[in-house]
Amino acid sequence: MKEPAATVFVIDDDDAVRNSLRLLLKSVGLPVQACPSAQEFLPTYDARQPGCLVLDIRMPGMSGLELQEQLNLRGATIPVVFITGHGDIPMAVEAMQHGAFDFLQKPFRDQDLIDRVQRALERDAVNRVQLKQTGLIRTRLESLTPREREVLDLMCAGKPNKVIAADLGVSQRTVEIHRARVMEKMEAHSLAQLVRMVLNAQPLRQAAP
Amino acid sequence: MGPLAAGRLPPGMNAPGAPSLELQALLDAAADAIIIIDHRGAIQLFNHSAERLFGYTAKESLNRNVNILMTERDREQHEAYMERYLRTGVAHVIGIGREVQARRKDGSVFPAFLSVGRIAGSDPPRFVGFVHDATLRQQAMGAIQRERDRANRYLEAAQTILVALDLNHRVTLVNRKGCEVLGFEESALLGVDWFQTVVPEGQRTRAVVEFDALVEVAPRRPHHSEYAVITRSGERRLIAWRCVVLEDALGVATGILCSGDDVTDSRHAETDAREARERMMHVSRLATMGEMASGISHELNQPLAAIANYAQAAARLLAAPTPELADVTDALQQISAQALRAGEIIRRLRNLVRNRETHRELAHINEVVEELGPLSRADARASDVRIVSELGVQLPRVSVDRIQIQQVLLNLLRNAIDALDATPAGQREIVIRTERNPVGDILVTVADTGPGVPDQLLPRLFMPFATTKSNGTGLGLAISRTIVEAHQGRLDYQPNRPRGATFTLMLPAEQG
Repeated sequence: MKEPAATVFVIDDDDAVRNSLRLLLKSVGLPVQACPSAQEFLPTYDARQPGCLVLDIRMPGMSGLELQEQLNLRGATIPVVFITGHGDIPMAVEAMQHGAFDFLQKPFRDQDLIDRVQRALERDAVNRVQLKQTGLIRTRLESLTPREREVLDLMCAGKPNKVIAADLGVSQRTVEIHRARVMEKMEAHSLAQLVRMVLNAQPLRQAAP
Repeated sequence: MGPLAAGRLPPGMNAPGAPSLELQALLDAAADAIIIIDHRGAIQLFNHSAERLFGYTAKESLNRNVNILMTERDREQHEAYMERYLRTGVAHVIGIGREVQARRKDGSVFPAFLSVGRIAGSDPPRFVGFVHDATLRQQAMGAIQRERDRANRYLEAAQTILVALDLNHRVTLVNRKGCEVLGFEESALLGVDWFQTVVPEGQRTRAVVEFDALVEVAPRRPHHSEYAVITRSGERRLIAWRCVVLEDALGVATGILCSGDDVTDSRHAETDAREARERMMHVSRLATMGEMASGISHELNQPLAAIANYAQAAARLLAAPTPELADVTDALQQISAQALRAGEIIRRLRNLVRNRETHRELAHINEVVEELGPLSRADARASDVRIVSELGVQLPRVSVDRIQIQQVLLNLLRNAIDALDATPAGQREIVIRTERNPVGDILVTVADTGPGVPDQLLPRLFMPFATTKSNGTGLGLAISRTIVEAHQGRLDYQPNRPRGATFTLMLPAEQG
């Protein structure tokens, strides 16, 4: 499946501000989609669509902060660059605490916006690669048998084969066979690499029932 | 000397020629009492009218001293006159009439007018006296005098200035109050040219023109005008005048009579009160603006941000190897539109912020409401509130001070926005509606869905310093009601259904 192109979504209820942002981003060759409200944007947004959001923090109806909350609830990782006005610093701080990528105070220099948007797009690309890897590790983890999973956990806890054998009440030989199977299924070349993989996937493991 | 019958000439009298029938008829017909006395004062002749006037018959009176017809007071004087005349020949009464107190037979006294003459050639001298009953005349004179006194007392007691001028602008009358205000004695004012003497130069021509026109037209109704006078001490007092034309019996104008009230102090008080009210409104407006500052600065920031974006976009577009000129043109047009938008916000803001005098004009209420749009929307947006306008169609115009009515509406909108603070975002909505009630008055309602006004605050809602806000001045609604009442309108509160507050501003529609 071909990856769709990264798009900058501009959401601002002020026609002039929205349109000028659209034109500015277009002038540096970025694909832009503009939308006048968070309510209109939310149902049309596909989380698989790479890109970033340029979001007005204050809007009637659903504010930028509320949209961010909704996206967080849906597990969307798209980076958000907030546009704030004077005196919106407390809101900007709140947005950052909830995982916003960055914010910009109006009016701003075009280069500042473009730089932030570029960095947000890069972050999105990295996120997506990571996400993909995490998904892969998760699939591999799911391919382990319950016994292999037990062996994996004890390996990651740093226990030698003798201790694992004693803990599980099996022979050292059996542990060695399980261990080789785990390394093979997880496509790990070293214990260190295996531990890193498991740690990276940890949040997803915890989120799983 | 024999007795004289009434109306008969005494036989011994030195009348020229014989007693003529004509003379007899004159004596009988005369309306005045005619009495002849000799040098001792003894009555020699007593005609019909004398009998009627004094109650004595001619017979009774003959040879009695004329002093029986006098009061005690006049008797002595009469004797002294007679004595002196006989001694010196200098007359004091003769030929000159005088007022005397006469006495009837029954002792009653009445005012009389007496003229005395010496009968030429008589020696010892005899005198003829004519006595005219002055009762009626004296009563009339008394009445006139009393009337005049009363009028004078009115003039003097009046707390209003009264001045009469003749056709040459000369003062013919000025009362005490007029003298007091002007600081001149009455004598210093009578006869002087009113306009030259007391009216300040700047208003003199107008006052004279008005005077001349008034005399010319002589309207039935009093003419009202206002001009200042300069007092003797150089102080300027503003007088409200009410003038009527004076006419003679033939209806020809002879001058004017003006009553004037010194309105300097009350005018000052009015001006002071108005200025204080306007200052208060101004302060309240500034306070409202202060509360809206964050929203307004945001609203101003929008076009500025857009302008910056468009300009930067245009520069980048032009730097491209094959510039998209349509986009550049669009950006430039937008830049100018946004600059105008920012200017418009500043203009509205300045209108509301500057101190100004009340100015009424005929206006469409929808325009008044819509002009507030950018500012009220900015304020609402800052608090995540949506303002819904439901403007009526074909509403008659109202006579209003635009800025003052906008101040009232801004205040109501501010309150509504604050009231929605605890309402979940997304449900914060204010409805502003214009309509006409069945009587034709214009209604503007501002309704929110906040908690409404707490019951215990209701009685004091429109009183100063009744506030539930920690940062409010507590003057907003009080001043708003003052403004609306100055427009002959009303500002009322009703609870909104199912919850919230509704404020209704009623303005009477312009008549005709």
